[in-house]
Amino acid sequence: MSKPVLVIGGGISGIQATIDLAKHGVEVYLVERNPSIGGKMAQLDKTFPTLDCASCILTPKMAEVLRYNNIKLLTYSEVQEVKGNVGDFTVKILRKPRYVDWDKCTGCGTCTERCPVKVPDEYNVKLGQRKAIYIEYPQAVPRKALIDYSHCLRLNPPPDLKEKAKGKPLCGACEKVCPTKAIDYNQQPEIIELNVAAIILATGLELYDASNIPEYGYGKYQNVYTNLEFERIVSSTGPTNGNIIRRSDGKPPKRIAWIQCVGSRDVRFNHYCSAFCCMAATKQAILAKELLPEVDTTIYYMDMRAFGKGFYEFYKRAMTEFGVKYVRGKVVKITERQDNKNLLLFYEDTIHSYMKKDEFDMVVLSVAVRPNRITAAPVKTDKGGFIQIMDPYMDTVTSTTEGIFVIGGAAEARDIPDSVTMASSAAIKASTIAKKCVVEQTIITSGERA
Amino acid sequence: MILKLRTTQIALTSLLQKEKEAETADLIIKLGGEGIRKCYQCGSCTAICPISEHYMISFRKSIKYAQLGLKEKLSSDLTPWLCYACGECSNSCPRDANPSELMMTLRRYLTMIYDWTGISRLLYLNSKILLSAIISLSVLTGIIIYFLHGPIITDRVALATFAPVELVEATGRLIFVSLASILLLNTFRMYRLSSSRIKLSLGIYIKEFFKTFLPNFLTQRFFKYCSEKRYWVVHLLIFYGYVASLILFEVLLFITHSNDPFLFISPLSIIGLFSAFSITYGGFVVIHGRVKKTKPLWKYSHPTDWMFIILLILICLTGLLTGIFRSIGWSIATYMVFSIHLMIVVPFLILGVPFTKWSHIVYRPFALYFGRLNEIRQSKIQEVVRL
Repeated sequence: MSKPVLVIGGGISGIQATIDLAKHGVEVYLVERNPSIGGKMAQLDKTFPTLDCASCILTPKMAEVLRYNNIKLLTYSEVQEVKGNVGDFTVKILRKPRYVDWDKCTGCGTCTERCPVKVPDEYNVKLGQRKAIYIEYPQAVPRKALIDYSHCLRLNPPPDLKEKAKGKPLCGACEKVCPTKAIDYNQQPEIIELNVAAIILATGLELYDASNIPEYGYGKYQNVYTNLEFERIVSSTGPTNGNIIRRSDGKPPKRIAWIQCVGSRDVRFNHYCSAFCCMAATKQAILAKELLPEVDTTIYYMDMRAFGKGFYEFYKRAMTEFGVKYVRGKVVKITERQDNKNLLLFYEDTIHSYMKKDEFDMVVLSVAVRPNRITAAPVKTDKGGFIQIMDPYMDTVTSTTEGIFVIGGAAEARDIPDSVTMASSAAIKASTIAKKCVVEQTIITSGERA
Repeated sequence: MILKLRTTQIALTSLLQKEKEAETADLIIKLGGEGIRKCYQCGSCTAICPISEHYMISFRKSIKYAQLGLKEKLSSDLTPWLCYACGECSNSCPRDANPSELMMTLRRYLTMIYDWTGISRLLYLNSKILLSAIISLSVLTGIIIYFLHGPIITDRVALATFAPVELVEATGRLIFVSLASILLLNTFRMYRLSSSRIKLSLGIYIKEFFKTFLPNFLTQRFFKYCSEKRYWVVHLLIFYGYVASLILFEVLLFITHSNDPFLFISPLSIIGLFSAFSITYGGFVVIHGRVKKTKPLWKYSHPTDWMFIILLILICLTGLLTGIFRSIGWSIATYMVFSIHLMIVVPFLILGVPFTKWSHIVYRPFALYFGRLNEIRQSKIQEVVRL
């Protein structure tokens, strides 16, 4: 047997790397922080530049992970410590308690129906609600329920209720209804130690906090959304069942604006370009047009970065076929109208060279992305917090530490095709290391035998 | 053959043109316009500027001209004069290009372009020349005082005997007239560069002079759009300090420059004290700002900015000291300090008024006036087009 490889992060790049390694015959551990794999792509509705349904591409891949015997999936787990060097990494992984026995759970969802506690839903960017015992989303892999400790009445009762109960256990609704008796309130966190040959970091991206940019009023004005929020709104599995409605009055908007480079390419926030927002905003504007044919869509941009295959054509198509308007200029501030909660955008019309004000019903901020912070792995990060790579030309997936690879959004802001390409590239490199380890081991063992 | 020659010629001229444009851009960078390298033309500066609520202007466009080094466009552009440097654009600039400072730089560039003598260019581009000009003018004044001063009376303070009124007055008038004429010629150049040749009736010129030029000159009312009104007060204090000192020491020199003991309570000396204190206060606000770099405008200080503000404060302090010594009755000290005072005043006026920073007192209201005239011309053209 070859030594295993560890993939940290179960987004699209992590999934791709895992599957490729499994196909190579290498044993893989896929560690994911969240209850389900899928990552940011699972939250998207459609993909650019073909407008294919994102989950139609992703879900089969997620399901494929479960089909291989040599893939060990560790969701709801976090890597705590990485020691050692190439060919011999010792990794400590914390398995957080799910309070549900996943061998017994069938994912029927009866418990989630009965649970009395409602909590903002992370999958829907807190636009919708979930229960304290929940399955992350319908296509989740593995499709198993888990209890959110901090909100569960039984596990973490609020102090006033605890006093009233006088020592008696509270609630317990899920335990009562579970047909397979899978609920286990006494589950404890476990620590697993693994020895792996190589590590692939696919820790991905998070959205920059748009409320750090006060002039756009995100969090203060109700009808200002982030791009990920908008993605959930247009999605048929989203909190509004795919209806674009305003947060303030629940009415469909007549005019939607997208503001590009929010927090990116801006020395005050993040200096780098977030790479996919130009195309993502174009895609979102098309989706809006498809859902509400009468809607007026305008994208405020500085430079349209349509560099990938078919991107420029996609951009032209948005303009000509769908009538998406593009205005060159940075929106410098947004003010909200008190009466109808509409938004006034201030910008310079750079064609006619004077300041203009435009009114919109809804504003979508193309917010910058940031790398998720990785503290466990011994790798260097660059100015933007992304993991540094060895050689920007000839080896774009190896980090500064030998045997640790970095793919997808952890290395730099990337779109799906780029992330997947890197994943496969890192998989073959990691597989080479894993198989070399076996050869060395056999030599030693054969030597001992002799 | 001829065609080929012609193309080569065109290629050569365009190459020369390009070089010229690069030179202009480099020149602006040298004057403090480092930001033109960073700007990506998003227009935030125009959109955030409080003035753009009222006027259809674009600071982004002026920065674009600078980036491209379009000399003709730049020298006819009056937009930089509209800016009072509140610094809001610099706070919202995503590239840290400091548009507020870029406008200041363009004002330096324009001052250089308007000046027909070429002295301004030397002073702006070479700090060694600037420094040696200050020192040599100062020394020259010193020499003149040394040779031409009147009898030194030590038993009482007789300033008008030490520096004869007629002499001081004559030199003062000479300097005033020559500097004013250079400045007016420069202003005329500014008019020629910035205005189209469409004729307007004299009535409009006069009417707009009173409607646009004078109010802006006297109140600097564009400041009312800026977010921080405190600097309006500071700026006005310095301005009226000047006006007061101009009246006292140029127009009323025959009264103020006398052998009588200096009285702090006379109305004239109260005006003098007002001017000295307001300029010193304003000056210290600016120096503090420039050292601490509190405002975006003060992040970069050109040598001429330092010259302007330091000499200004020294003039006020020596002027005040002269007054104090005069009232105490220390004759030698009075004469000494007064000589030093003159040795600073002369280089400050000669270098500052027509050639560097001081000139904005005149250029700014004139720019607004010329801009208004251009607006009228534009509306006339549109009327003709409509007919």
